[in-house]
Amino acid sequence: MGLLDRLSVLLGLKKKEVHVLCLGLDNSGKTTIINKLKPSNAQSQNILPTIGFSIEKFKSSSLSFTVFDMSGQGRYRNLWEHYYKEGQAIIFVIDSSDRLRMVVAKEELDTLLNHPDIKHRRIPILFFANKMDLRDAVTSVKVSQLLCLENIKDKPWHICASDAIKGEGLQEGVDWLQDLSTATTWKL
Amino acid sequence: MLKKFDKKDEESGGGSNPFQHLEKSAVLQEARVFNETPINPRKCAHILTKILYLINQGEHLGTTEATEAFFAMTKLFQSNDPTLRRMCYLTIKEMSCIAEDVIIVTSSLTKDMTGKEDNYRGPAVRALCQITDSTMLQAIERYMKQAIVDKVPSVSSSALVSSLHLLKCSFDVVKRWVNEAQEAASNDNIMVQYHALGLLYHVRKNDRLAVNKMISKVTRHGLKSPFAYCMMIRVASKQLEEEDGSRDSPLFDFIESCLRNKHEMVVYEAASAIVNLPGCSAKELAPAVSGHWAFFQPASHVYVAMKHPSAVTACNLDLENLVTDSNRSIATLAITTLLKTGSESSIDRLMKQISSFMSEISDEFQGTCYPQDTHGPQGKDALCQKYPRKHAVLMNFLFTMLREEGGFEYKRAIVDCIISIIEENSESKETGLSHLCEFIEDCEFTVLATRILHLLGQEGPKTTNPSKYIRFIYNRVVLEHEEVRAGAVSALAKFGAQNEEMLPSILVLLKRCVMDDDNEVRDRATFYLNVLEQKQKALNAGYILNGLTVSIPGLERALQQYTLEPSEKPFDLKSVPLATAPMAEQRTESTPITAVKQPEKVAATRQEIFQEQLAAVPEFRGLGPLFKSSPEPVALTESETEYVIRCTKHTFTNHMVFQFDCTNTLNDQTLENVTVQMEPTEAYEVLCYVPARSLPYNQPGTCYTLVALPKEDPTAVACTFSCMMKFTVKDCDPTTGETDDEGYEDEYVLEDLEVTVADHIQKVMKLNFEAAWDEVGDEFEKEETFTLSTIKTLEEAVGNIVKFLGMHPCERSDKSLLPYIPVLLSSLLGVFRGGHDILVRSRLLLLDTVTMQVTARSLEELPVDIILASVG
Repeated sequence: MGLLDRLSVLLGLKKKEVHVLCLGLDNSGKTTIINKLKPSNAQSQNILPTIGFSIEKFKSSSLSFTVFDMSGQGRYRNLWEHYYKEGQAIIFVIDSSDRLRMVVAKEELDTLLNHPDIKHRRIPILFFANKMDLRDAVTSVKVSQLLCLENIKDKPWHICASDAIKGEGLQEGVDWLQDLSTATTWKL
Repeated sequence: MLKKFDKKDEESGGGSNPFQHLEKSAVLQEARVFNETPINPRKCAHILTKILYLINQGEHLGTTEATEAFFAMTKLFQSNDPTLRRMCYLTIKEMSCIAEDVIIVTSSLTKDMTGKEDNYRGPAVRALCQITDSTMLQAIERYMKQAIVDKVPSVSSSALVSSLHLLKCSFDVVKRWVNEAQEAASNDNIMVQYHALGLLYHVRKNDRLAVNKMISKVTRHGLKSPFAYCMMIRVASKQLEEEDGSRDSPLFDFIESCLRNKHEMVVYEAASAIVNLPGCSAKELAPAVSGHWAFFQPASHVYVAMKHPSAVTACNLDLENLVTDSNRSIATLAITTLLKTGSESSIDRLMKQISSFMSEISDEFQGTCYPQDTHGPQGKDALCQKYPRKHAVLMNFLFTMLREEGGFEYKRAIVDCIISIIEENSESKETGLSHLCEFIEDCEFTVLATRILHLLGQEGPKTTNPSKYIRFIYNRVVLEHEEVRAGAVSALAKFGAQNEEMLPSILVLLKRCVMDDDNEVRDRATFYLNVLEQKQKALNAGYILNGLTVSIPGLERALQQYTLEPSEKPFDLKSVPLATAPMAEQRTESTPITAVKQPEKVAATRQEIFQEQLAAVPEFRGLGPLFKSSPEPVALTESETEYVIRCTKHTFTNHMVFQFDCTNTLNDQTLENVTVQMEPTEAYEVLCYVPARSLPYNQPGTCYTLVALPKEDPTAVACTFSCMMKFTVKDCDPTTGETDDEGYEDEYVLEDLEVTVADHIQKVMKLNFEAAWDEVGDEFEKEETFTLSTIKTLEEAVGNIVKFLGMHPCERSDKSLLPYIPVLLSSLLGVFRGGHDILVRSRLLLLDTVTMQVTARSLEELPVDIILASVG
């Protein structure tokens, strides 16, 4: 980041840019969450399964997010790692109603955490326990138990229950990310 | 910055291309910049340019490095810089087949193609279709349908053209988009309409009815786009050609109606379509020709003229006016047309016009006009065949052209033309040669000079007054540089060898050349001098008039072998394989079109490949050098049978090897120990079989049979073998290919195999038959007369003999120069197995049947006997 950019960030003229990776299994609601976070005039009406990835941008009060919205389908998951290096934060989305595949989600999470590009960095991870509106959804506490989130010691993490279709719980998560970035110094 | 660049340029030798010395690894290293944030669009676009440049220069990117660069590039999608984005699209397209997992950008591209930015949408569609395979196509089908009917023309066109590309791999999916394409076909934009019709046609092109319907619809409603019209005309004419039906069909009406279109392009297309229709009558042509005429398109006229001279004759008057047209290319074409259509009487006049015209056009223009317009000299070539009496005029004309300034291509075309006239027409030989002599007096092109010198050496001594050429040739020795001097020395020696009277003076001239500075010239002169001083006809014939007949790579290999294994014996030239492709294509070489002949391939020929293969089989050691392999394998089975067997015959000095290439077409069998048993009808003796160990499904294998040639009765060379294939069958699983352990013996009867005289004789090419004939002498000469009752023409008779004996007709003596004289004297040359030249001279007389007198000569008695025995 150039001197001028740094200055404008300090003065609050230009928002600090943060690269975020949005990961999770297919059909967990990643694209829907990102879509909801965009300004209402840029939102698209129908969400289709992502093929590969797409880059989306949205702003919070003090940050400008560039999100790499990755496809969650099985055959694209091994392509996530190409983008780990650039990610300064991770949003991991879980379908809380899909108990059956919770183990798969845990496995993907473990692979992610053990990847050399992620393992030794204090990179913040925000978990969305999504689809809370569904009847058979489990609570966010239960989700964190199922995924053994308490074992993550070296990275700041936060889980919040969300309903991406109504947009509930999303702001809470984004606020956590924002607070973290303003409070601590992220390695840029 | 600018200054720095200048300095760099100077150092690197002033190349203006900034990408000239790019290093792949360095560029890929630079590509890591893509991962940085924030993105510097200008820098990244520049690096992408470098990558694209490298790919387009043919630099090979490995899959891993390409994939790495590709993924780094995908991160650039976060920038909104339009230039960078478009560079990304280009890179995606270029790398789509090099890198892995390119579908990663699918969503990013679909986002762009449905987005608001029109500039992005078209390119995004194209890039998307490039990375999509048939399995992924379903996923983007909806987007494609939308894009086809998009109201922005560039998007719609992109989608249509991309669909056309996709049609090749996933026809069924694209077929479903016909409705959308139909809608796009009524678009107001001319390009969209053209592309939509193109797609529709390609979807339907296998369905004749649908195409006809499409054309009739176009006829009724008309089109906006002239491009679309042109395409429909082509489609219609193709359809007509396939139908080869009547001219009343609505398709023809459609094309004809297009003649009245307001776009020139359409009228022109329609006219040339009509002209190109096979077998159309003059009446139908008339409107088309006038259509052409309206646009002064003599280019197409020339074409018409070649096919329908009579139809254009009407325009000849107009054409003559065009000759003086200020546009030179039009004038040239007009002349060519006239030459084609004109009558004998008008040629003189035309020639005069042309020569005045030639002097007008600048040299540079001749350069561009002539090579492209091979009609020039070529047309005259054809002309001189048509009107042999005019050759003097033509020759003069060509020579004036030759004297004028001109580039190499131009000069060569003319020299080619003169040479071919000399060959075709013996009356013109002397004038032609003297013209050429004068030309080489002042010729800057080495190739042409040596070629003419060679021709002089060949043809000169046979003329009535050979001594007049000597001066020209010796002038070359004095004035020119090495290559021409060497050529001139050879030509001189040829004169000396064929003309007793001139021999003393030639010897004097050659003695002077012995002191030359150049090695080659000196060597040649010394060699020829010594040969000539012997005053022996045989030596002259062998070493001066006729060159080596062996294959050069073969000679090189044999000599290398010889130097590696020192022995007392002198090197035997007979052990070297003969050149399999004698320079029989002399004729084609001298026509102007093929003047740029590919250099003879020096790599191993087919025969040399065989020789190496055979040498690898231990049973065939000690057979000596391979003498001849039959040119085409003979099929011993029908093509659709269980086993496909093809046989190639290899002849050695005292043996023959039959090579059987076998293919097993049954997928539930594996054959083992395959041999071909042979039963000869004559005194041939089968020595051994080399089996093919295993023959799995569809994998060709080779087995050999070795036979000794008959010793007691050496004349019985022609023989028929009955063949039977023996093998062990093992059943196997067609899917896994596992074979059972148990097998059983089986046989398979093959067709009979013929060995003919031609298998024992190799074609060779000598330039001077007469000299070779005298060299061999009449010690073993035999003569017989035959009557060929079934053959009706002389050429057919000679053709049959040539084929039967497998010998080479010398000096184009297989063709009758004067068709009305019923006598043909032809000379055939070959080398019999063992390396002895055999010469056959046949006199044919055509009365009601063909009577043939055959005279054969060789250095040994055996080949002569065999030839005569076999002809009878």
